[in-house]
Amino acid sequence: MALDYRKCAEQIVSLIGGRENVAQAAHCATRLRLVIKDNSKIDKAALENVDGVKGMFESNGQLQLIIGTGTVNKVYDEFLAVTGMTAATKDDVKAAAAAKQPAWKRALKSVGDVFVPILPAIVASGLMMGVVEALGKAIPSFASTDWYAFLDMVANTAFAFLPVIVAISAARVFGGNVYLAAVIGLMMVHTGLLNGWNVGSTDAINSFFGVTDGNIPTWNLFGDLKIGDYVLGSISRHGYQGHVIPVMIAIWLMSKVEKWLHEHVNEMIDLFVVPITTVFVTAIFTFVVIGPIFATLENFVLKGAQWLVQFPPGAMIMGAIYPATVVMGLHHMYNVIEAGMLSSVGLNTWMPIASAANFAQFGACLAVGIKCKQAKLKTVAVPSSMSAALGITEPAIFGVNFRFMKPFICGMAGGAAGALFGSIAKIGATAYGVTGIPGYLTIDNPAIYTILLIISGGVAFALTMFFWEENVAPAAETAGTTDAAQTETADASTDDAAEVTSKIVISCLAGKIGQPVKGEIISYKDIPDETFASGVLGEGVGIQPAEGIVYAPMDGEISSVADSKHAIGITGPEDMELLIHVGVDTVEMKGDGFTTFVEEGDKVVKGQKIMEFDIEKIKAAGKPDTVVVLLTNSDDYENLELS
Amino acid sequence: MKEFKYVITDEVGIHARPAGLLVQEAKKFTSTIMFIKGEKSAKATSLMKLMGMGIVKGDEITVTIEGDDEDAAAEAIEAFVKANF
Repeated sequence: MALDYRKCAEQIVSLIGGRENVAQAAHCATRLRLVIKDNSKIDKAALENVDGVKGMFESNGQLQLIIGTGTVNKVYDEFLAVTGMTAATKDDVKAAAAAKQPAWKRALKSVGDVFVPILPAIVASGLMMGVVEALGKAIPSFASTDWYAFLDMVANTAFAFLPVIVAISAARVFGGNVYLAAVIGLMMVHTGLLNGWNVGSTDAINSFFGVTDGNIPTWNLFGDLKIGDYVLGSISRHGYQGHVIPVMIAIWLMSKVEKWLHEHVNEMIDLFVVPITTVFVTAIFTFVVIGPIFATLENFVLKGAQWLVQFPPGAMIMGAIYPATVVMGLHHMYNVIEAGMLSSVGLNTWMPIASAANFAQFGACLAVGIKCKQAKLKTVAVPSSMSAALGITEPAIFGVNFRFMKPFICGMAGGAAGALFGSIAKIGATAYGVTGIPGYLTIDNPAIYTILLIISGGVAFALTMFFWEENVAPAAETAGTTDAAQTETADASTDDAAEVTSKIVISCLAGKIGQPVKGEIISYKDIPDETFASGVLGEGVGIQPAEGIVYAPMDGEISSVADSKHAIGITGPEDMELLIHVGVDTVEMKGDGFTTFVEEGDKVVKGQKIMEFDIEKIKAAGKPDTVVVLLTNSDDYENLELS
Repeated sequence: MKEFKYVITDEVGIHARPAGLLVQEAKKFTSTIMFIKGEKSAKATSLMKLMGMGIVKGDEITVTIEGDDEDAAAEAIEAFVKANF
């Protein structure tokens, strides 16, 4: 049963002395990091026994609870909800920003998140499969040996059961139970169903089902009930070998169903009701809705492809969209086209198109591998590209190119170019089953084929090298801006100041007050300190600082500078008294990390730099870095407006 | 006019938060309440001025209260100061 994040968070809160005893909460990849006010109120023994807490220790004044990757953020969310605390770390601001991305970007990110963890399995298998198949074609006698049969089995296992691997990985991404996901994945490649790769093969269908008409029998759950031509609840008895997207959709749905049931089913009968209902609902939806949609699409693709490849421009289009059909899992029936070509004209002109498309993905993936600087990406991209060169493109497409999108599109361009060339040159293969480098074994003109591979791979490689830029890690990016800000000339920083302070955060009849620090504005009620949030010090705003510079937000006179340099008071027009207080409880830092540029009595103009502070030092001291901006005598003014 | 003296014992002195609470307390009364340290002085209703005095641990402050409700105010402010500073 999935971990109940809410319950876990509630137990943690109760065992650490309640909300009042928490000064600050944050999380990293695996741990919930809490700053506790009074450690004596913690029940350590009981904490370790909380379901979901794998361990705990104290370090740097933090209580760290080990919860685990992918789980800790959910427990943290619930923790915030339970305690009513607000997320105060930069990471959360970033996460919030990510959640605002358009749906297609999030969907794309999900594909990457699902595929990256399973790459070791499919890259290894892809390479081995390419080599084994090539050897089988090159040395026909080898193909009939026991060694070949054995190696073939070892190599293709990961692909034959790909839905299971995808399902498990997807469950971790979408937050479903991995064992239930495995059941769904296994169901989709169940041995009672026709192998998905044989959907286009009449012989395989006849022998598998013991029929003679070459049609896959259906299960009709509701008898002959029809809507138009569509038989309601009809399930075609074939599996989803090699499919990716339908599996991800199924597991996404499963996770939603499971989560909903966990919330709505009484705990007493949870284990009894939730898993069985989850599996049943998901199975019905997968086979009755997702399956037919993809099968119908696949038929359209097949018909379209057969028509397209008759003339060069069509071949070019096919070369471009081929990898897209692989992504959608609509490429299973292409061997029908190839078999048809061989029996009618004796030449497989489809293979050069597929080869161009696949080899272009190799080129794009190799470019990523060469251009990228992250060692981790390199180690994925290079072997994935090798596998693609041998005709097994899944690792390259899903693990690299499709994740970044641009290499994928560059690959489509390369495929189009190569396919167009192949169609004009009228080359073809004498068999089917291999593409890429092993394609030499079946091609009728190796010299032309070489040019085709060079065109498709080369175009994709060059375009990717040119257009694709590795996204620099956010940390490095931040460092970059800070450096830039520090080395900027006085003029530039004045511009910066003008930009920041041009946004009005507090306005009333007496005047307007700009934003003193760059960053995200939050309500003063969300400032992680009861006194500030209560409004007794006046109303205003909080700012999650993006950089450690304070500008005067209005013309006025410095009325106070704290000895510990963390707070500055400014008296503005109509005696508005503004307090800029950097961080919470930062008085205890006794000035370390703060530099002030003004003294009491100084006149300041809007945009003038009055203080610098070190965000990292504030965090290191375990204090919230929220900049508190309050109009301390806000009671005295009318028409107060806060942003 | 009422008056009392007090030596600050709080580790960080009169900083933003306690000062803010003091202002709230002082605003309950109509009397003029002054905090005096050496040559500096501030009305207890002015947060900025209070903070600007830079009152820290060990400083001796003088508080004066003058007005119609000075008796009640003096009592309340003295209690507040002892509790918070």
